[in-house]
Amino acid sequence: MKLTPYLAFAKKSFLNRSAYRFNHFMGILNTLVRIFIFWCIYRALYGERNEVDGITMAMVTTNFVLSIGMDALFSINDYYLPNRIGNGSIATELLLPISFKGRMLFENLGNTLFQLIFHFAPALVVCVVTVGVLPPVSFGCFLLFIISAVLGYGVLWNLSFLLQTFSFWLLNMWSLMTIKNVFLNVLSGSMIPLWFMPDWMAPVMNLLPFSSIYFTPVQIYLGQLSAKEIGTKFLVQMLWIGVLYLCGNVFWKKGKKKLVVQGG
Amino acid sequence: MIRDVLHLIGVYTKTIMKSWFQYKVDAVLRSLAVFLRESTGIIVVYFTLLKFDTLNGWNVYELLFLFSLLFVTYGIMILFFTGLRDFGGTVRNGGFDRYILRPRGLLFQIIFVNADWFAAIGHGGLGIVLFLISASKVGIVWSFDKAMYYLFAIFGGVLIQGAIFLFLATLNIYLLETGSLKELFYWNARKFAGYPLSIFHKAIQTVMLYVVPFAFVNYFPAQYLLRKEDMAAYPEIFLYLTPALGVAMYLLAYVFWRFSLKYYKSSGN
Repeated sequence: MKLTPYLAFAKKSFLNRSAYRFNHFMGILNTLVRIFIFWCIYRALYGERNEVDGITMAMVTTNFVLSIGMDALFSINDYYLPNRIGNGSIATELLLPISFKGRMLFENLGNTLFQLIFHFAPALVVCVVTVGVLPPVSFGCFLLFIISAVLGYGVLWNLSFLLQTFSFWLLNMWSLMTIKNVFLNVLSGSMIPLWFMPDWMAPVMNLLPFSSIYFTPVQIYLGQLSAKEIGTKFLVQMLWIGVLYLCGNVFWKKGKKKLVVQGG
Repeated sequence: MIRDVLHLIGVYTKTIMKSWFQYKVDAVLRSLAVFLRESTGIIVVYFTLLKFDTLNGWNVYELLFLFSLLFVTYGIMILFFTGLRDFGGTVRNGGFDRYILRPRGLLFQIIFVNADWFAAIGHGGLGIVLFLISASKVGIVWSFDKAMYYLFAIFGGVLIQGAIFLFLATLNIYLLETGSLKELFYWNARKFAGYPLSIFHKAIQTVMLYVVPFAFVNYFPAQYLLRKEDMAAYPEIFLYLTPALGVAMYLLAYVFWRFSLKYYKSSGN
């Protein structure tokens, strides 16, 4: 597989993003507002206390900054495939001598790179100056955090792709994606740090992929996991990528066949 | 005259309902999705308070009550002001030029020709559910006075948000794209409004009191009925301002709207 055309797609989506400046600033502001609201809430919840269940306020803040930051960073277009099925352009795009999924991934990667430089980085700087962010416990942990974040991205991308393939059969993708986002927001740790999830939610968390997306990287960053636990978490992340990838592929292949039949 | 207006409203409402509920399964799914999306914050508050008991003295039911006011007012407001929410699009695609040619009031047409029923059911339904869950558990002794206060507060809250929508819609006459301004002034402010005003930084409180006065939509009405300790930081009079503020803001926005119409230039040629 030659990489050049895919890099061109990544570059194209990167450059596309630089066209809308004002909207971009609004996006950063949005991220900061989200972080700031949760910071205010937890400052009030903590009150005079230094820590709750061994979790300090600084750890909570870092959790919000990193997971909301990653949320902005990963921003995946959930309607990439549904839009193309809806307006029929998928038919011509499948004829191109490149992989549709590969193109989709690289367009998103270009976007993510843009977000990293122009959204995540400035937002992080503002957060470090205002609410404060803990540094990673060690350089090693920082590297493992990066790996884990990349795996988290893989989980989210494959989850989104699996749901997008349903658009071969469903018209109402908006409701499906909105409900996915409810799960993502509640169970990923970007709105409630998962340390504070009630214990009876643990089985739900373990059966679903959402805690592997942002919370695992955050835990590694904060040095909360031993080497062995990090290994296990990496395996869990990879397992989710594998499962979601395979399911997505099954529906993708079936959907493509159905599409051909429909086209006559 | 009045009969003609009522007749028109009836016809419009019938057509709107027909178009929004044409696909029944889709309508149910969309309303449900809005309902669940808006519940996200509630679920998070519920889980958080299982761990922490109170947020600045507010327990979980009191917070749900605070949220319910926000959702009920939005649900009612959006039934009337969908046209203002989408006004930017109407100006850009030339739909507004058609309104101008018709022999009826412009604002009348904007208000009554569209109503986002999915948003209304999603938000309003959630507001009612939250009210039913919380109202009996927050220690309010309901009397005639309090019920009247509640109704007036809802009325004021609807008008405050309607006035903000009308103001932002009017800006479309001068600027073609105002989606980002709405994001900045309306939606971001609304995100803060779900929580007690007192937990925020002074600068944010100033914005919520005097710039985008969401505090009067839900915080002060809830305070009147619940009387939490953090009310000590604000003057007593704030408890009674909601309806008057709603009417005043709406009139101001309306004057601005009438004034700006003179400057309207079509986006077409």
